[in-house]
Amino acid sequence: MEGAQNKKMMKTLLALIPVESPLYSFHPVSRLLLFVITGFIPLFINMPELNFMFAVLVLLLFIYSKVALSSLKMYLPVIICAGIFTFLTFIFFPGKDPNYQVIGHIFGLPLYDQPIMNACIAYSKILALLLSSIFYFSTNRERDILAALRTLKMPFVASYVLGLSLRSAGMFLEDLHTVREAEQARGLDYAALKFTDKVKLYSMYIIPLLSLALRRSDEISNALYVKGYSMKNSGKRADYILTKYHFSAADVVSCVILVLLLFLIIYFKYRYQWFDANHSLLQTLLK
Amino acid sequence: MEKIIEINQLTWQYTDTDHPALEDVSLEIEENMFIGVCGPNESGKTTLVSCIKGLIPHNFIGSYKGEVRLFGKNIRDLNAQELAKYVGFVFADPEAQFTSMSVEEELAFGMENIGLGSDEIKERIQWVADITGLESLLDKSPYDLSGGQKQRVAIASVLAMQPRVIILDEPTSMLDPIGKDSIFNICARMKEELHMTIIMVEHTLDRLARLSDRLILVHQGKIARYAEPERFFENVGELLELGLNPPASIVFLDQLKQAGLYDGPMTTSVEETIEIAQSICARKEAIK
Repeated sequence: MEGAQNKKMMKTLLALIPVESPLYSFHPVSRLLLFVITGFIPLFINMPELNFMFAVLVLLLFIYSKVALSSLKMYLPVIICAGIFTFLTFIFFPGKDPNYQVIGHIFGLPLYDQPIMNACIAYSKILALLLSSIFYFSTNRERDILAALRTLKMPFVASYVLGLSLRSAGMFLEDLHTVREAEQARGLDYAALKFTDKVKLYSMYIIPLLSLALRRSDEISNALYVKGYSMKNSGKRADYILTKYHFSAADVVSCVILVLLLFLIIYFKYRYQWFDANHSLLQTLLK
Repeated sequence: MEKIIEINQLTWQYTDTDHPALEDVSLEIEENMFIGVCGPNESGKTTLVSCIKGLIPHNFIGSYKGEVRLFGKNIRDLNAQELAKYVGFVFADPEAQFTSMSVEEELAFGMENIGLGSDEIKERIQWVADITGLESLLDKSPYDLSGGQKQRVAIASVLAMQPRVIILDEPTSMLDPIGKDSIFNICARMKEELHMTIIMVEHTLDRLARLSDRLILVHQGKIARYAEPERFFENVGELLELGLNPPASIVFLDQLKQAGLYDGPMTTSVEETIEIAQSICARKEAIK
């Protein structure tokens, strides 16, 4: 069963992506725009129920894109932690306002309606943004991300540095894993360590990891030189990978729809105050 | 044949070291030759090939005396782009040389740097993928491949630039036997079909000697020996003292020489060694 899932999904430096997906027929720029817009729209909506519906829509996009929903399990701790911290902050540090109404008590502390509402609004926005980010990295290889940025005329050097940074993040984690395995092979039992000892141990990792990072940067510098790359000559050059991607009519239509949707939401929000918290069903319930 | 690489009295010392890594080295390499470079650890092999590639003095800090000339031009006057057109370089650690997110991008990167257009890059990627057997891996990340496949990608990315000289610095040192075989097979194919000048630093003398037109022994920063394999292996004892393992056929012929049974030329060919052994046996039978 797991083997079957592995065949459907493949690993990138940042996430697991489906081997085949209808989304791949779209140009990387369209996919980047989808990410930006799905990430931005909730920022203009102060109705939690709408934002939660938006999150459900992103989940439907996961299914449409053939992303195995089981691969989202690894993000659950982040999603839950974000929720806990948001609600705890608004519950225990509600601020002062004469219009606040007490709706209950927790550990002897009063629970106010407006801070709870604010927590719901903030978390619904965070959740929608988190899901759209996860969706983007679960449907785009690093190469697609760079292709989108280069199509949008990001300078080659900047996009290349971004690519190398993505790569180095993955290698840093690999190095950390290697160092930890070497310690375990020499009999170190993490489970038996006290918390303070674990903290000391992590600070000790800095030295080998830093020296490995320096060595790798030296190697990459040599590799770039050997392949004829220098900052002086990086101006005009062919970008072979971009020839692999083409804008289709579907790309144009989807980009127009996405941008139009964003503008409509902004227009109705600021012109007619749609999507404000006082239109929210949750607000009515809390009152 | 034309001399394409000339090293004249080259001395190089890295900063913060007591003695030079290369000392008063002079060497001439002709076109379309397969040159094997061997020597004990820390003898200066990698430094020698780094000087030919121009990594030294361009990318390292130290004291540089003498000159290296590539196709008649002083290496100090050539920039990274010009050097890449003349000389390709494959490192021992394949992962250390990857700079891109997919095999195809990795192959294209060097060609983009030397100013090729997209159509030519596409043609060359197909050509080099065919030679190195990478057709089915083009879409993959280079980090997800096996050791042998990674090194094939590294070689292909250099080969695609079609330099006139290719340097391979211990390309099989991090590979299993199957990976080593695949790299030596590609090198043999490059030698047979592409007529390039190939310089290969390698510890596996057996395979290296069979491919090489000439062998260089580097010892304590100097060229201790530079000759065709037959002459290179005339003094096997010295090689063994340096911790090198000459090919089994050479050791066998050397033993025969020491026993006074053979005084002909040394050969790395197993078939020829069998013929020599058979003729010695036949002679012995005839004497009896």
